Amino acid sequence: MISRHHSMFTVLSIASLALATPFATQAAPPPGRLLASQCAQCHGTNGRSVSGIDSLAGESAREIYDEMREMKNKTDHPDDIMHHIAAAYTDQQLWLIAQYFSTIPK
Amino acid sequence: MNTLSRRHFLKLAGASAALAATPSILRAQSATSNGRVVVVGGGFGGATVAKYLRLWGGANAPQVTLVDANLKHVSCILSNMVLDNTRSLSSITFGYDNLQTKYGVKFVQGKATSFDNVKKLLKLANGTTLAYDHLVLSPGIDFKPIPGLNFSKIPHAWQAGPQTTLLQQQLQQFMSSSSPGNVIITAPLAPIRCPIGPYERACTVADMIKRKGKPGSKVILLDANPGIMAEVNTFTTAFNKTFAGIIDYRPSVQVASVDSDRRIVQTTTGSEFQASVLNVIPAHLAGAIVRTNGLVPDLTAANWGAPVNPLNYESTVSGMSGVHIIGDSQGTGMSKGGHVANGEAKVCADAILRMLKGEALDMGPTVPAACFNSVTSTTGSWLSTLFAYDPVTKSMIKVKAPDNPTGTFEAPAATGDNYERIFDWSANLFADTFA
Ligand SMILES: Cc1cc2nc3c(=O)[nH]c(=O)nc-3n(C[C@H](O)[C@H](O)[C@H](O)COP(=O)(O)OP(=O)(O)OC[C@H]3O[C@@H](n4cnc5c(N)ncnc54)[C@H](O)[C@@H]3O)c2cc1C
Repeated sequence: MISRHHSMFTVLSIASLALATPFATQAAPPPGRLLASQCAQCHGTNGRSVSGIDSLAGESAREIYDEMREMKNKTDHPDDIMHHIAAAYTDQQLWLIAQYFSTIPK
Repeated sequence: MNTLSRRHFLKLAGASAALAATPSILRAQSATSNGRVVVVGGGFGGATVAKYLRLWGGANAPQVTLVDANLKHVSCILSNMVLDNTRSLSSITFGYDNLQTKYGVKFVQGKATSFDNVKKLLKLANGTTLAYDHLVLSPGIDFKPIPGLNFSKIPHAWQAGPQTTLLQQQLQQFMSSSSPGNVIITAPLAPIRCPIGPYERACTVADMIKRKGKPGSKVILLDANPGIMAEVNTFTTAFNKTFAGIIDYRPSVQVASVDSDRRIVQTTTGSEFQASVLNVIPAHLAGAIVRTNGLVPDLTAANWGAPVNPLNYESTVSGMSGVHIIGDSQGTGMSKGGHVANGEAKVCADAILRMLKGEALDMGPTVPAACFNSVTSTTGSWLSTLFAYDPVTKSMIKVKAPDNPTGTFEAPAATGDNYERIFDWSANLFADTFA
């Protein structure tokens, strides 16, 4: 538990540091953008779904992250495709994805 | 209008006034100073890369020209559902208006025939040339020839459009006749686009026969592969239980030749099969623009795709820098699907934008392969794999998990929920690609 909180904290601070960098110098693409774009096949461009699948745009990063972690760890649901998708990403990747969607307006 | 958007508006208005005052030659230069990308093929790979280059490029986006032989793309995805009239062909046909109006992609209708990578010029069949800094090729597939096979009589329906309609009409005629018969589908050796496609199609036709009650009629699936290549549990159950007595699955049967008038398949071991409706899906090749321009060094290789660096999809053939191949024609070994082609396109777009600015590539790309397919007209299943870049082998490998030891997971059962999900998924995939 302690180590989980610790790693979460580290990830959080790295991510916020990255975000604090001003956009000035032809900024490199936002971290997480490419990773998050691979969710769009099912969740819509920039996480704005046009179908019954959930939109992700504009949700809080913490909420998206926690939900993906929950799906990742829920091994008793092999019929949930999101369990297998979430389980294929590291926690750090999940955080970057969550962070990116939280910056997109709904 | 709030202040922010109003300020943005004024800035834009100022910029266009400045542009209007610039002499036309300068204007043309400034339009291309962010680079020129020409994309061949407006299917799942090509349309997506064109859109994301413009979407992500923002104010510094390169000029993007998309070339397709046709004015509209007919999606293979959901096209098996056209065969039993669950979907219309028009509902899976997409134009390029959105890409042009929303993202500023330039569309050119034409067939690309060759390119000169020293002069950086793409040539079209009508004589037009298009200059590029980066060339992205996503032409889909071609077929290996089979003696006697005439597609105007024996459809492949493996590139959607008129071929889909032809097979649909033949099936409709078969279903409306009272005499029993066999529908024969032949599946080629892997790798193919949509590895589950032939099995799904066999189920679609079997379901038509089962629902109509057409006694004595069967679907014979002649598979060149030694067994079911994807969703093994789902399709084993479908063939042995759901469609027992209707689907006759025969692995390791290879087509040698076809009599297109008499609808007969001759196999490499000398057997003959006669069909009421014959659907031959030949083995695949990379699209001609890729294959005939030196991007596939070994044209006889089992992996017929063009070798590329999966960090940017650039050809690894010498002299081919700035030429990128995505979609079914690339040879990373990832499964070939529209979902995957769309994912590769985003990695490619991100990489080209970085290359144009002289930035380092993202070293950790992922590409998901997911497939949602029907089994009956009310049930469906799915398959999921995540590919991630492995710096040791410099290739895309499947991410495994303790409860997913192969890295590919299929739905535990065909269900109604999974069937509904096909449409939720495809609506977003279509929009992410074409809208
Ligand atoms: C029956 C069937 C069902 C399928 N179902 C699924 C599914 O459920 N999920 C999934 O992920 N995938 C599915 N697929 C696979 C999917 O359709 C392909 O993998 C995908 O279309 C590949 O994208 P692409 O960009 O490589 O080629 P395509 O999407 O085929 O696009 C190629 C485009 O290039 C154009 N073109 C080719 N050569 C030239 C040239 N020289 N000049 C100009 N234009 C050119 C063509 O006109 C075409 O528009 C299915 C395929 C089939 C056959």
